[in-house]
Amino acid sequence: MDWLFFGEISLAGLAMGGLYALIALGFVMIYKATRVINFAIGEIMMFAAYLFLAFAGGMELSAWIALPLAVIGGSILGGVIEKTMIRPMLGESPISVVMVTIGIASILVGLVEFVWTADPQLLPNFLPREPVFIGPLYLAPKIAYGFLIGAALLIVYLLYFRFSRGGVALRATASDQAAAYSMGINVRRVFNLAWVFGSLAASLAGVLVAATGGLSPQFGIIGLSVLVVVIVGGLDSILGALVAGVFIGWLETVAGAYLGGEYRMPATFVVLAVILVIRPYGLFGTHEIERV
Amino acid sequence: MFRDILKKGRRLAGLGSLVAALTVTAPAMAQDKEPIVFGGSIPLSGVFAFAGIHLHAGLTDYTSWINSQGGINGHPVEYVMEDTAYEVDRSVAAFKKISGSSSPATYYGDSTGFMKAIASELNSMGTTLMSGASFATALTDNEQYPYQFIPGPSYSQMFGIILEYIASQGEGGDMPNVAFVYSDTEFGKDPIENGKARAAELGIEVVEEIVTKPGSVDVSAEVLKLRRVRPDYVVFHGYVLSPINEFMVQMRQMGLDTQFMGTFWSSDKLIIDKMGADADGYMGVMPYNYYDSEESGPMLDALRAQAEKSDPDAGYRPTGYIQGWFNAMVWTEVIKRTLDAGKELNADNMAAALASIEDWDTGGIIGIPVTVKDMSFPVGRIWRVNAEAGRYEPVSDWIHLD
Repeated sequence: MDWLFFGEISLAGLAMGGLYALIALGFVMIYKATRVINFAIGEIMMFAAYLFLAFAGGMELSAWIALPLAVIGGSILGGVIEKTMIRPMLGESPISVVMVTIGIASILVGLVEFVWTADPQLLPNFLPREPVFIGPLYLAPKIAYGFLIGAALLIVYLLYFRFSRGGVALRATASDQAAAYSMGINVRRVFNLAWVFGSLAASLAGVLVAATGGLSPQFGIIGLSVLVVVIVGGLDSILGALVAGVFIGWLETVAGAYLGGEYRMPATFVVLAVILVIRPYGLFGTHEIERV
Repeated sequence: MFRDILKKGRRLAGLGSLVAALTVTAPAMAQDKEPIVFGGSIPLSGVFAFAGIHLHAGLTDYTSWINSQGGINGHPVEYVMEDTAYEVDRSVAAFKKISGSSSPATYYGDSTGFMKAIASELNSMGTTLMSGASFATALTDNEQYPYQFIPGPSYSQMFGIILEYIASQGEGGDMPNVAFVYSDTEFGKDPIENGKARAAELGIEVVEEIVTKPGSVDVSAEVLKLRRVRPDYVVFHGYVLSPINEFMVQMRQMGLDTQFMGTFWSSDKLIIDKMGADADGYMGVMPYNYYDSEESGPMLDALRAQAEKSDPDAGYRPTGYIQGWFNAMVWTEVIKRTLDAGKELNADNMAAALASIEDWDTGGIIGIPVTVKDMSFPVGRIWRVNAEAGRYEPVSDWIHLD
């Protein structure tokens, strides 16, 4: 066993897992607060990455201005989607709402194809290019710096949820909507906030992932990979999203390195199947018992 | 930038109106003969639209050009197509519709999946010869696909050409080694087994095989594997752009002096436009001369003139455009040979006419006379990116496989 190789592979996997965790966080925040499974999360990521391309590539703004602009653009998109397309569906069957999110995904793909064409794209380089070494272990610079940026946002989010009024309102609404409403929390606003914050996390992850793997209108498929993460971690668990994101990222990478790239996805789906059998509500998800 | 967007939007709107019209018909010509129809399932939208738009432009421009030359033996040519979004079921539906309404003599298939799916129907119809975007090795099986051909080398033949080039770089009996990197798709896996067999014949060691999942992926773990074997050459297949750029950049960051090569769909100017200076030195196998190459010839000049005439602002035309043009050029040659022999225009006779092509001068589209083998044109040349000049330059002679 080449432990140096294993260490480098593991490091790459954990760093990629950090980005999965960030996407999963966006997914879970929306589900936790609004009970909407957002199948358009990958396309929101894609849209933000295209915005970055427009700002940094088309308008030639500094990447460090383009990045926040793209992320804010993605989060505004999330807020607009909630207000104009999801809110009118309140009270409708969950399947109908899911179908709306699938429709939104399709519209976003069509929109980027119209504006930016279907050509594959690369984002302008904005992360340092010098190799990163942690002790003797090599880590690709884009992955390393992408992980650091993502981790910084995660920390900001965790602090926000813990200490701010908005964060408390979000947690209260996620915990019990009726009780939150009776205590004077503007639940509709919280729903909107959840979409804005969830989309913001996804947008940042979108730019960082696209910076590594390229961008095309099919980019949103990555959202399906993250569906595995949130089901394994628990659809309504932020801790689950973080732990499962890092774990699935590591597992995918190690399976790819030792078994071959064709085993990346099967390895994660084996874990998914096992978790669904043992804990259908995910590793950290809420085990809801319905009494009739 | 917004002006660019508007401009692109207008172009797309123009294409949309073409799609709505469904047909690009021959200009009114004083010809009494029945028109010959080129049909097509064309991916103007969806995952392959980046190439489909240019394939369509190549087919459209060739149709205009051949009609301006009097058609084929006096028959005007009509090009009838539908957008398929690169979905097999829509391609099949388009084929049925166009076959039913227009009786095409030849047909452009947009994917390997479609060409395999439609094979039995095509065989039973016996009226139409088909080629298209696919270079799949399977289509060289004349028993199963007697009426389908490849407008260039198959993917396995492309690997053969690449490996011959690599073998020619061995100095003093010191044969370079190679790693294959391909996507986990039917497209990606196509030439791998044949490539390994050909490498063994040439004495080239395949030191690593990397399979990547399709889509936007991080490949740093795969790069770490390559660092351990330090290949002299990495051959990519099954990609258009990503993750080729990441492999190249990361391996160079690690100080490796590996050379990088790719096949048809990853050997267009897109690589240079998107990667910039990082693309320098990348090599691709290409059966046609590039639009902006220094090569010339009567047909290549006609192609450039027609492209300029149809859209003077378009500038460089991608390899998909030339591929579309060349498809239609082969159809024309085959139809002409069939008609000249006084034979009925059916699939059997056209397939026989195709098989009879030997030392055919393509007028500069391909740099040497070509001979059809197993319903393909097993010829190509290795071109290397000169990033500063912003184009590919030839680094090998034309290689025609036996």
